Amino acid sequence: MSADLQNRAAQAVEMAKAAGADDAWATASQGRDVEFEFRDGALEKVKDTTSRSLDIQVYADDRYSNHQTTDLSPERLEDFIAEAVAITRALEPDEHRRITSAELFAGRPSDDLDLVDPTVAEISREQRLKWCESLDRVATDHERVISATAGVYDGTLNSASASSNGFVGSHAQTYCWYGSNITLRDEGDKRASGGWYAGGQHVDALPAPSDVARTGLDRALARLGSEKGPTVKTAMLVDAQVAGSLIGRLLRPASARSVQQGQSFWADLVGTRAFSEKLTIVDDPLIPRGFGSRHFDSEGISAKYLPIVENGVVRNLYVDTYYGRKAGMKPTTGSASNRVIALGNHSLAELLKEVGNGVYVTSWLGGNADSTTGDFSLGLRGHMIENGEIGPPVGEMNVTGNLKDLFGQLELVGNDVYPYSQTLSPSLVFGGVDFSGV
Amino acid sequence: MAVKRREFLGHMAAGSAILTMPAFLQGCGVQSATAVSQATPENPFMTWFGVNQATAARVMSELTARGADASDLYFQHTRSNSLRLEDGIVSSASSGIQQGVGLRVVIGEQTGYAFTEDLTMPSMLAAARTASAIASGNAVAAPQAFNPLGTGDLYTTTVPWSNVGIDQKLPVLKFVEEKAKAMDPAIEKVAVYWADADERVMIATLDGKLVTDHRPMTRLTVVVTAKRDGEVQTGYSNIAAREEFGWYSEERILKMVKEAVDRTMIQFEAIRPPAGEMPVILASGASGILLHEAIGHGMEADFNRKGTSIYSDMMGKKVAEPFVTVVDQASIPRERGALNYDDEGNKAGRTVMVENGILKSYLHDQISAKQYGLGPTGSGRRESYKYSPMPRMSCTFMEDGPHTKDEIIAAVDHGIICETYTNGQVQIGAGDYTFYVKNGWLVEKGKVTAPIKDVNIIGNGPESLKRITMVANDARLDTGGWTCGKNGQSVPVSQGIPTVLVSNMTVGGENVS
Repeated sequence: MSADLQNRAAQAVEMAKAAGADDAWATASQGRDVEFEFRDGALEKVKDTTSRSLDIQVYADDRYSNHQTTDLSPERLEDFIAEAVAITRALEPDEHRRITSAELFAGRPSDDLDLVDPTVAEISREQRLKWCESLDRVATDHERVISATAGVYDGTLNSASASSNGFVGSHAQTYCWYGSNITLRDEGDKRASGGWYAGGQHVDALPAPSDVARTGLDRALARLGSEKGPTVKTAMLVDAQVAGSLIGRLLRPASARSVQQGQSFWADLVGTRAFSEKLTIVDDPLIPRGFGSRHFDSEGISAKYLPIVENGVVRNLYVDTYYGRKAGMKPTTGSASNRVIALGNHSLAELLKEVGNGVYVTSWLGGNADSTTGDFSLGLRGHMIENGEIGPPVGEMNVTGNLKDLFGQLELVGNDVYPYSQTLSPSLVFGGVDFSGV
Repeated sequence: MAVKRREFLGHMAAGSAILTMPAFLQGCGVQSATAVSQATPENPFMTWFGVNQATAARVMSELTARGADASDLYFQHTRSNSLRLEDGIVSSASSGIQQGVGLRVVIGEQTGYAFTEDLTMPSMLAAARTASAIASGNAVAAPQAFNPLGTGDLYTTTVPWSNVGIDQKLPVLKFVEEKAKAMDPAIEKVAVYWADADERVMIATLDGKLVTDHRPMTRLTVVVTAKRDGEVQTGYSNIAAREEFGWYSEERILKMVKEAVDRTMIQFEAIRPPAGEMPVILASGASGILLHEAIGHGMEADFNRKGTSIYSDMMGKKVAEPFVTVVDQASIPRERGALNYDDEGNKAGRTVMVENGILKSYLHDQISAKQYGLGPTGSGRRESYKYSPMPRMSCTFMEDGPHTKDEIIAAVDHGIICETYTNGQVQIGAGDYTFYVKNGWLVEKGKVTAPIKDVNIIGNGPESLKRITMVANDARLDTGGWTCGKNGQSVPVSQGIPTVLVSNMTVGGENVS
């Protein structure tokens, strides 16, 4: 598999060179994906697919372009690549457009990342059905259930890259996820819904389907009788499962691209104490079984441990080769691997106690943030926190503020990391946050 | 690595759906330098792959060998191109070919699905056998020949995008940059993103239809960054349609550029409104996002046949004032959400979801239409051959009402006007939905007093419909490049609305006491 893809990538690079490119970078990928969806006691959907594609980046006369095709028949591929080179030549020259310097390929780690479980390829139809049935049973046994959909998603991804300046590398990983979404009858026409999924590269590391479904059902039950929350300035406890997306919004403009384009509130923050000293974020590409683990990034830069924020002080940004060259910044990597938030020492129950009264956010609904200013406003659902305990469910609320200020108000960090994500965050507590509701 | 990590959020967020605007960060593709313009044949499947009636019949027969109520072959070839101007240079282009065939078997509510990108007979037959595994009955009679339906005329073009070279497009990007920069000395950076695509689909169905559709698409986006007294602000605008190169008139481009500059510069003066409940005026056009989130998704019949939508038991009931009529219509020429045929090969048309305040019709795909005993509404859509279709919106809008914009503003003592948006989302079961307001205005004592920015608005679908107390006579469709995401599939959509007053919504804001 890997040798096949490696050859295909190398051939594409040769075709580009033959068509007149100065340099080229190609990636050949192939994947198998299987989905089973099971609803209310019966199999509803089976999808079983094998897909492939070829990506090529072309450098010619200080010009650059990138192209992707799923049509790999040899003669049309040759035409496609010749056209790609011609497109490149029709652009304007830009001295910063260069293929990744071979120096950045050096020192590639060889750690065993343990991203492939060979048993994934052997999961049988019967096994998937059994998982579906056991997920389904937990949900449909409940009297309030209107509908429950259980899903199993598994597959394998393989890719190989080659470049005209000597890069050769491949990546493989498997995945298997299952869980369910459950809808319950609530007051009037309203439905309460919730769900939970567990997943990873390795089948044997997954919790039992019945436990996963139970968590999903509990999350749906927790929404029953939800009412609109208050307009109030108070503490916000963000559950570990949804803290990652808030961290994602914070980090979105933490890149050379955003800074160079004048669209980042991180522009002058490197080296400064910009956030609460409770905040430490590291990009760590070498975590075994990590969802973002890798030996090299999409430009071929060898994977390295990269501190982004240490005790509130900004240490590094995500810097790719092009915008790094333009902005005069040394490349780190242009794309996140595993983003790890340093843990505190409080359990969720302890965080609730510490907060006393406030809002516990368990899911976001819409909203956005302005990368240039950091201004944000997000819809949310969750619970009131009353006397250190989880109180009644609330929804139809917004939280509004500025991301830089918000992460300055980070007061407590939990030890309860949500594991099923590329961003490994625990629950977070912020002080003095503006909520709007009734 | 270039491997796309699988996105599980799509699955995990089932029961919620999102609408987004700022797609300019992703390359959508461009092609064809003049030197090598290789025209794409009108029906590349027949020409390039020898897929003819007999081939389709053979594959269909394999696909339905274990039984089927319905089945289809969805052939697709999409050539997409994009260009990027940053820092005064058009220094990056992308292009893509997405080609494959999706094979689907439907039995009752069950679906078997497979696709292949290798359009040879052995690969297609293997995929057909995989998809057919959902069934366990006897073969049904597959058609030996298919009946080609007439091609639609909603977005006919004279010059396909494959015949438009970079030498023609490049000056457009330069023009946008030049005009934007000239509009205000505070403007430091201008980025321009171009996208065009020719999508060709051929759908063969078990009931013998053969549908072909050429679906052009283009979008132009400008992003402006300005600096004043050390403060930086960014704003943008874009226009999109199923159109050809000639659509980009100087007037149309200048209007877009002015919008982007105005939206950027006003932010230096804009404030965050006070937080809490208040009357909300939705300006005409892009505010159709309210309809998309508050009612549109909840009316998609897959949610209703499963009983998971808050609208599941409301058919025929009064949901709004008599002057509220909400429509989803694919048959609007050249709109981004327009379609001649849906992705199941049914003629796409007009579905009145709410008529004079009464809930009238869901949006159906074949599976739900059959379950409800109704004809299809032509709302079965899919992102590509990689996905099975489901009920989706196309162009969603509200018809004119009896009031005027001035009357509506005069009626508000303390509230806001929402004007531009970046994204929205809905939670189907509870009916809670949100949209993010990028630019708007504060209204005090019936007068517009100050610009506002960056607030999320949240409401409940059926409650908001009831609270639409005034509807003006200035309905228009937005020309922006909206993309709707549901269960991991993205499709282009349009939306529109006249100026509307919602008597009470929750506005995200600051200065909570």
